[in-house]
Amino acid sequence: MTKVKRLTTILVLLLVSVSLIWAGGSKDSGERDTITVLLNSSGSDETYNTWAEIFEGFTAETGIEFEYELISNKADYMNKLQLYISSNQLPDIYGCFNGPYSDAAKATGALLNVQAELEDIGAFDSLNKAVVDFLKDANDGIMYLHPQALYSEFFFYRTDIFAKYGLEPPTTWQEFIDVCQVLLDNGEVPVVVGGKDNWQLTRYLSFIPWRVTHDDFIMDWIAGTDDFASNEAAQAGVELVRTLGTGNYFQRGFTSSDYTDAVNIFFGGTGAIFYGGSGLIPNASKMYAEGKLGVFPVPSMDGMENMSTDIPIHAGVGIGFNAKTYDATMRQLLEYIAEHYGEACYHAGVYSPYNIPIPEGMDQLFYDVYPLFENAEQSWVSWDDKLDAATMTSLADAEQELALGMLSPEDFISQMDATIDSNNGR
Amino acid sequence: MTKTLNKPSDILTFILPAFIVFTLIVIVSIAWVFGVSFLDWNGMTGGKFVGFNNYRQLFFEDSSYWEIVGNTFLYTIYELLWQVLGGLLVAIFLTRLRHFRSILQTLYYIPVVISTVAICQIFTKFFSVVPSGVINSVLSLFNEEWAYLEWLSNPNLSLEVAAFAEGYKYFGLYMVIFYAALISVPQELEEAARIDGAGMLTQIMKIKLPYIKPVIISNLIIVLNGSMRSFDVSYLLTKGGPANTSQLLTPYMYKQAFNSLKYGYGSAVAITIVILCILLGVVLQKLIIKDDKEE
Repeated sequence: MTKVKRLTTILVLLLVSVSLIWAGGSKDSGERDTITVLLNSSGSDETYNTWAEIFEGFTAETGIEFEYELISNKADYMNKLQLYISSNQLPDIYGCFNGPYSDAAKATGALLNVQAELEDIGAFDSLNKAVVDFLKDANDGIMYLHPQALYSEFFFYRTDIFAKYGLEPPTTWQEFIDVCQVLLDNGEVPVVVGGKDNWQLTRYLSFIPWRVTHDDFIMDWIAGTDDFASNEAAQAGVELVRTLGTGNYFQRGFTSSDYTDAVNIFFGGTGAIFYGGSGLIPNASKMYAEGKLGVFPVPSMDGMENMSTDIPIHAGVGIGFNAKTYDATMRQLLEYIAEHYGEACYHAGVYSPYNIPIPEGMDQLFYDVYPLFENAEQSWVSWDDKLDAATMTSLADAEQELALGMLSPEDFISQMDATIDSNNGR
Repeated sequence: MTKTLNKPSDILTFILPAFIVFTLIVIVSIAWVFGVSFLDWNGMTGGKFVGFNNYRQLFFEDSSYWEIVGNTFLYTIYELLWQVLGGLLVAIFLTRLRHFRSILQTLYYIPVVISTVAICQIFTKFFSVVPSGVINSVLSLFNEEWAYLEWLSNPNLSLEVAAFAEGYKYFGLYMVIFYAALISVPQELEEAARIDGAGMLTQIMKIKLPYIKPVIISNLIIVLNGSMRSFDVSYLLTKGGPANTSQLLTPYMYKQAFNSLKYGYGSAVAITIVILCILLGVVLQKLIIKDDKEE
């Protein structure tokens, strides 16, 4: 019995000591020595490279260390982020999607009002307007997330193939279909798409509603004040996916190719048109230098009024700062970011969300594409960010069925209108 | 030793640790999932009790669910054919071989030790359409049009291709188990049958297969349960697509819970998987017991 008592006493003492040591090392001492970071990154991409340069610079200046957690797969990242939000254990800095995820982080009080901080620092006005537009909260219009970079999207096309058949880059969707038909008739693969990844087909579905309504259709659809059945632009988007898929304009087997496969297929020399963006400039560099590659913006919808912005611009996965752990050191880091982020972006090979001149020595395509979106004020509207996860999952299945001809446009429309109503309790 | 094992307290000492671990990991998890299946919960904010609403939706409103249940049963049948029947046939073939047996055994077993991700990558490249994969390249030698045959993206074939990939990966494992059982059949039984004039087929059907029946049943149950809960190959190879044509119950559960953020709904799917597995196990056991009694 005495032995048991002695053992218990030792155990209790050990536990108390460990707790004291733990408490001593925590932020209670008032001094922070590490900053924790969660990023949707592979550890070798532009996201990592940009932030690594910032963090290394900040460490050199202050001695503060950074603890990274990197997850490359988007779905896995979303799961982890969701887990951290629900368990109230978000790190100091974390990649966050503007929409349901940022709403949930905000609801737990773990999302800093980055806009207010940047305004205080005096850096907010130097941010690209379209990037700010992309990240603004749907409810209060405030930018809670720091942009990852300025990404622009456009169609790459093979100038040599187009020249061979006397084709010009299409400016309307009807011209786009006509061009595809000529290419198909001549045995070419008209369009390469990564149909296995949800967002690739969703882009085609949302191009026309975006050009015609910007974010009106998607936001109204979510709110229940508009639907596919009564919106002409949205119906035209449905028809477009159906036509491209069933008309064999996409490469054969497109639903089994993911985005990476599609990139490899196109830049490997197969296909005449591919929807990509500034993130692919390094892949496009060689073909562009050889004069085999050109770019064109998102075509207009014939017979409808289109907005002037035709190059989708977005900010990638936004970066959230944990409001609960935001202190003087974190403020110092944000000031450092505001000062050095633009430069770090260009070093990593992406456009800066801060309006600074493009440095010399970048790939030629960087300079040639920039004028296309230099003055854009309206951002891209990512349906995959705006829609709730359940609707997005159903939409991804339905648009595959639509493109494969397994679902008629009418059935797609009624199914999706019913799905969003059901998911929103209407 | 016998005396010690007769004491209830000693028996408990042996059983209890495993029982506690099993209860914590399996029973508690199932009970927790069962509880969550009555909630409308996105995994982030607080859940709302909705009674049997998730089950009602699943059984009566979700048009995909029954199609996916059908896919899962079909997939299970394919797996039983590939893994159990295929493994058994190859094992019988190996017992008849005099040369190269070890080399063939090793070759058949290699897919078992290769990771599923690698196997799926290999199959993705094999069945690729653009750029043309190995299968289509070979087929195009016979007919140029066959270069464009779709496999993984064909709604009518994607389930079969996924089943083939999983069968290819695991049949070597069951082949080894069957082979070990077959070579343990006493030689005297075979010799007696031969003296009685039994041919090779009769020896297999009347002597060897009945002798290894417990092994066949064990493998049947393992493959049956494994296939009902199959996840990785279908998820990695086709993502359940195109649309839901190669979707199985377990990836569907994952999709609902983690992609759609419908934890309650995903948990309801999980509970139906548990019930289906238990039902199948009970039915199989009853059939076996009935069969044994008849014998």
